[in-house]
Amino acid sequence: MAVLLEVEREFYAAHEAEWASAHPGRFVVVKGERLLGAFDSIEEALAAGAASFGSDSFLVRKLGEKQQEVKIPALTLGLLRANPQHPTSGSGS
Amino acid sequence: MPILNIQLAGQDPSGNQIPALVALQQRGPVVQVSVSVEQNIAQQLLAQGIALPAPETGFALIDTGATSTCIDDAAAARLRLPAIDVVTVASASHASTQQNVHPIQIEVIGLPITISAPRAIAAPLAAQGLLVLIGRDVLQHCTLFYNGPAGSFSLSV
Repeated sequence: MAVLLEVEREFYAAHEAEWASAHPGRFVVVKGERLLGAFDSIEEALAAGAASFGSDSFLVRKLGEKQQEVKIPALTLGLLRANPQHPTSGSGS
Repeated sequence: MPILNIQLAGQDPSGNQIPALVALQQRGPVVQVSVSVEQNIAQQLLAQGIALPAPETGFALIDTGATSTCIDDAAAARLRLPAIDVVTVASASHASTQQNVHPIQIEVIGLPITISAPRAIAAPLAAQGLLVLIGRDVLQHCTLFYNGPAGSFSLSV
């Protein structure tokens, strides 16, 4: 799997402090070395990004929010048990 | 508030029924779902005349140990999901990895329950028989009741 958005992440890192000061708590959309804008919600940011860039990838981040490591221990440790010895099915409402 | 109630059932290799509590313990809280691109993006793409791939269907496992919701990386490629970020996934057993983040919408098959996961992480889930892991980014908006003795669980969204 190719990891994407390298240019956008570098551009964001270079301008994060400046943008966070101007638009604290808002969501920014970055494509290449261009800031599309700052938006009040991630839904607005996604809509604006898709309106401008179609199905291309673009960076969306919330200003002032620290990027933290994601933890998915069952997956990363190979402990997911989705193939049990007995097939199962669900019933519900 | 839509409520999902599931009681698992299962059979052993001989075709005999196994108790619901055993099925739930073995399988975990899983539900059949359909996944597509996040609805705000979908609306924009449709307005531009861009055809959307058919939704992917499969099992979602509710994983209270996962910080974030994940989608199978091969399914993400088939859905032509745009990446909107890259995150570092920690591992206790090997080096941390960088994974793409995709905006998705999850629908529970057969029920009027739609879950938005605008920052789902691509991960190799298909080998585990899964399409989605529902993590705490989604669960922070839900109430989950896990009834082990009854072999059932409920999720209100």
